[in-house]
Amino acid sequence: MGWVITMQIRLAGFGGQGVILAGVILGDAAAIEGLNVIQTQDYGSQSRGGHSIADLIISKDPIYDLIVTKADVLLALAQLGYDSTKESLREGGLLIVDTELVQPDKEFTGAPFTRIAEEEVGLALTVNMVALGYLVAKTNVVKKESVEEAIRRRVPKGTEEINLKAFRIGYEEGTK
Amino acid sequence: MRYPFPVGAVDFIQGDEAIARAAILAGCRFYAGYPITPASEIFEAMSIYMPLVDGVSIQMEDEIGSIAAVIGASWAGAKSMTATSGPGFSLMMENLGYAIMTETPLVLVNVQRSGPSTGQPTLAAQGDLMQAIWGTHGDHSLIVLTPATVQEAFDMTIKAFNLAEKYRTPVILLTDAEVGHMRERVYAPHPDELELIYRKLPANEEEANYPFGDIHGDLVPPMPVFGKGHHTYVTGLTHDEKGRPKTVQSEIHEKLIKRIVEKIEKNKKDIVDYEDYELEDAEIVIISFGIVARSAMRAVKELRKKGIKAGLLKLNVLWPFDFELIERIAERVEKIYVAEMNLGQLYHMVKEGANGKAPVELIPKIGGEIHTPKEIIERIKDNLR
Repeated sequence: MGWVITMQIRLAGFGGQGVILAGVILGDAAAIEGLNVIQTQDYGSQSRGGHSIADLIISKDPIYDLIVTKADVLLALAQLGYDSTKESLREGGLLIVDTELVQPDKEFTGAPFTRIAEEEVGLALTVNMVALGYLVAKTNVVKKESVEEAIRRRVPKGTEEINLKAFRIGYEEGTK
Repeated sequence: MRYPFPVGAVDFIQGDEAIARAAILAGCRFYAGYPITPASEIFEAMSIYMPLVDGVSIQMEDEIGSIAAVIGASWAGAKSMTATSGPGFSLMMENLGYAIMTETPLVLVNVQRSGPSTGQPTLAAQGDLMQAIWGTHGDHSLIVLTPATVQEAFDMTIKAFNLAEKYRTPVILLTDAEVGHMRERVYAPHPDELELIYRKLPANEEEANYPFGDIHGDLVPPMPVFGKGHHTYVTGLTHDEKGRPKTVQSEIHEKLIKRIVEKIEKNKKDIVDYEDYELEDAEIVIISFGIVARSAMRAVKELRKKGIKAGLLKLNVLWPFDFELIERIAERVEKIYVAEMNLGQLYHMVKEGANGKAPVELIPKIGGEIHTPKEIIERIKDNLR
């Protein structure tokens, strides 16, 4: 996927999947690269189980918009998140889904991120990093190395390595 | 001095976090607050950072106590801040007046949410504009700043402390839930890059005897520090230059209040700040502030693409208000629109400033969602048809 001047990215899932953290890390990576970036979020009041959406606008120009109105990329990690956000994906935009948890009704790409996190990384909680790796490989919105730096800065101390492992496995999956 | 966050560096942080970090860089060493959405992140950050910079962050019993503690700390010589949202802001009104009357430098952050009452705790609004300026009773003046980006939240917090110290006055940083919670790329300056202002202290015992006297002719008296050996009397009652209550002499009241008002009004040029975009040949101008100014900026760019000569005036300071600036703009445009997240507050000030030279139309929005650029554009285009 080629870089345009501005990219709108929406990450959607349910609370507890780490969607917001994935958004913050992606935004941090963009900031590290000197790009302009804004990240906003919308979540239900429950910390687990409600829908959870992270919006990012990444641009080489100053950003005036706040929320994603026409997503260039939509990542859906749960059916709930997909159903409530699918209308925001622009025509021809890239839809990435967890292929075992989401049944999309439009063209998509993806992988069983949750199962990969469980079986290949060994920790289901890292599903957000697996999916983020996949998204970065597919879109080249930021460099792999910038995300790795952001992961080191943003994940809880002591969990850097497993999160990096998850990100790299997802990234590999995305280059296939 | 080591700071517990990156300085001279770029980071990706929330508006609330930016305010806390900037306050510490500005020299704030006392924070008192009571948790409230969407301002709690400021308090959380202060609770983490303050012990690491030999500062104090304290949770008070409520917002009345919070601003009272901040006033006390300021008189003890500390740059001090509190932050809240609608319901807490209402509780702070009485002591905000006390801070104005006693000429106490402090920064009060209001991360606006929808009201009245507890309203919509997690959603943004701009409904506290009039309250920020006129919420406390009696004749007065103060300073109100308003940011539209996380970087502005950072920079304006530093400016708020500088203005508070320079003019010995409370300064309100009027932001909102959207700016407070969104993350953006921010440059946090290194302390060496900053110009910080500290309040004027009495040069000698004689000056310390007149903590409310215009002894330098600049309308701002030097402020003594509690615990430094001066006998100082501080009261919300009308007082003379020595601070002694004088509650029935009209000339003393008039002199005091006029000086408190004039120290802001006469320095309007130094305080007022705004940005204009494409105003030179504009036939239509949108006036906006804070988060809505971003949508207004996008709307102006889109309107220009369609050949409509639109321009933007983004206000960064809401009080003191530059009524003359609005009149100058009104003289050369066909129409002024005011886009704000309330049912019309800035609108009234703009209308007064325009002074009949151009029609002023309100584009209001409430409910927690920010105007989309499309909403602004369509409203303007409808009128052009």
